[in-house]
Amino acid sequence: MAVVEGFLVATLLLSCLASTSYGVTFSSLQKTLVVSASNQQGKVLKGGEGNITITWSYNNSFPAGTDSAYKTVKVKLCYAPISQQDRAWRKTVDNLEKDKTCQHNIVSRPYSPSNNKFTWSVERDVPTATYFIRAYAYNSADEEVAFGQNTDAHKTTNLFQVEAISGRHASLDIASICFSAFSIVSLFGFFFLEKRKAKSAEKK
Amino acid sequence: MADEENSPGSSMHGVTGKEQSFAFSVAADPTIPTDSTAKFALPVDSEHKSKVFKILSFANPHMRTFHLSWISFFTCFVSTFAAAPLVPIIRDDLNLTKTDIGNAGIASVSGSIFSRLVMGAACDLLGPRYACAFLIMLSAPTVFCMSFVSSAGGYIVVRFMIGFSLATFVSCQYWMSTMFNSRIIGLVNGTAAGWGNMGGGATQLLMPVLYELIRRAGATPFTAWRIAFFIPGWLHVIMGLLVLGLGQDLPDGNLSTLQKKGDVPKDQFSKVLWYAITNYRTWIFVLLYGMSLGVELTTDNVIAEYFFDRFDLKLHTAGTIAATFGMANIVSRPFGGLMSDIAARRFGMRGRLWNLWILQTAGGIFCICLGRANTLPLSITSMILFSIGAQAACGATFGIIPFLSRRSLGVISGLTGAGGNFGSGLTQLLFFTNSKYSTATGLSLMGIMIVACTIPVTLVHFPQWGSMFLPPSKDASKFNEESYYGSEWNEEEKEKGLHHGSLKFAENSRSERGRRVLSVSTPPNSTPPCV
Repeated sequence: MAVVEGFLVATLLLSCLASTSYGVTFSSLQKTLVVSASNQQGKVLKGGEGNITITWSYNNSFPAGTDSAYKTVKVKLCYAPISQQDRAWRKTVDNLEKDKTCQHNIVSRPYSPSNNKFTWSVERDVPTATYFIRAYAYNSADEEVAFGQNTDAHKTTNLFQVEAISGRHASLDIASICFSAFSIVSLFGFFFLEKRKAKSAEKK
Repeated sequence: MADEENSPGSSMHGVTGKEQSFAFSVAADPTIPTDSTAKFALPVDSEHKSKVFKILSFANPHMRTFHLSWISFFTCFVSTFAAAPLVPIIRDDLNLTKTDIGNAGIASVSGSIFSRLVMGAACDLLGPRYACAFLIMLSAPTVFCMSFVSSAGGYIVVRFMIGFSLATFVSCQYWMSTMFNSRIIGLVNGTAAGWGNMGGGATQLLMPVLYELIRRAGATPFTAWRIAFFIPGWLHVIMGLLVLGLGQDLPDGNLSTLQKKGDVPKDQFSKVLWYAITNYRTWIFVLLYGMSLGVELTTDNVIAEYFFDRFDLKLHTAGTIAATFGMANIVSRPFGGLMSDIAARRFGMRGRLWNLWILQTAGGIFCICLGRANTLPLSITSMILFSIGAQAACGATFGIIPFLSRRSLGVISGLTGAGGNFGSGLTQLLFFTNSKYSTATGLSLMGIMIVACTIPVTLVHFPQWGSMFLPPSKDASKFNEESYYGSEWNEEEKEKGLHHGSLKFAENSRSERGRRVLSVSTPPNSTPPCV
């Protein structure tokens, strides 16, 4: 018992000492990048088929030298609020380490103020949802220092929808039916066979 | 023999280790005569039930039946909870909301509420071998159906149908009681149930690994999880065929052959049901088992997703951690039953009740800790302690159930089992289906509910043995074991001698008085116990 108690106390102490690293917050970032995507209003992108062209550049209206720390830019696919409803695993939190808004990486490029363009074809593991595009600028310590997104602050404009592949295949369906049929047929086959054997044994 | 109570007609019979074998009226005698004319690998009693429990043996028919039985039950647990560790993938494929996921979890445990009740009758009619084989092979198509699912509704329906297979619990316990002597049946049944429940843990390990392998072989994520479901489906078919090919209902052969022998005084179902539902203790245990087995099933459904989301782990890491919850069953359920027996040796039934209260409340407290733990090591520790508490409480519950009633044991066991599943559905509905609070808060609230709903065990009172806080009645001649078990029969039935089985059981159950049994004077109209 004492050993168990000691173990529990040690775990408690260790967990208190464990660093609760507090990362960069989203609200501290400046929107210095201008991001736009080529999606057409109302058109649904299909997983595995559709593609979208993304361009991003530095917004020159900010004071010169603001982008001196930017080293890389990562462009990500992010969930719109409607796709976050009732789905806590896509929640937006200010602490970027815990934030789950942008879960899919599109591309990662070294920073350049202009002439950035990328055509992304929607991968087959992207779920059905409504999205927007966001780009984060990172410094040399790989921390977020700025961002840009193709929608407004409330994430209501310029959203686009992706329709995922279903994952179903005709071959799977057929295999499934075959195995199910085998199961039922062998069960009843066994049952009636034994009944017949019992009846013929009784008759003898 | 008129007192042939160990017949296929009495489901759940012999779950307690205290019932005597009825061919020889030896009350509480540790030695049961071996039938030396029988040619079995293990020593058997006069009914050819095994007297020993050799875990590593596969001797036909007793130990072979044990292994077929627990592995079938294990397989059904694997397939019922197979979706749980894959939910992070499935929720993206089918665009599920938290409500959908919660409803599917509830559906997965609700189906067997009914199927467990029906299964008892099926075992009586078809024998445990066919009952088990029918269920496991007819639920194989439901597992294969996962490949067709493309919406939340379909997902919920398929999980509901797969959940029916959990009724193999009943066939498992029934089959054990036809093969093993009642002295050891408590341990045998506890081990079979515990090892079967382990399937809920093994699946958390198995399914993510299968998913990874299939994905690496080239499948996309949304197809890989569907293919992964074929493995539990194949297990169903394989176990069904093994049960049909290698199993037999009774030590001497199959049911149809043996039903010809002897006349069995069959009890009236309406009476059996009446005495079960009018015994207030039945309902307290229905509630209690919902807070031990029920929360165990709920946790099987939510814990992998919880670790994946809360601590940002990889899918198979979350699965491994979640697996330790269910795998603890290998020892913790038998441990609970053992602690119950040890407590009973000194304190009798009061010891069993206290043991149950302590284990279940401890489980509840660690569940609260699990929800509040913010770091991974603390969370895992709380989870392991919670699993031990809840699962040992399951074992301890079935250490007490056999004493609630002799006549209605089968129905009470069935109701308790159904209560377990109901508790699971209820806790999932209350705490894990809506987005009002996070999974972590849901776990803490569930822990509070466990602690609160375990308090009614203090109300369980046996006139002849007492309860947690009250001693037994002073008037030993009026309130004794015989009067308690005899009260389930009316005068007419007593005149026909139908209650003799209950009287014999009453004699054996005197050990539930604890150490006082030696000093108690026996009622004048029963045979003195040989202690």
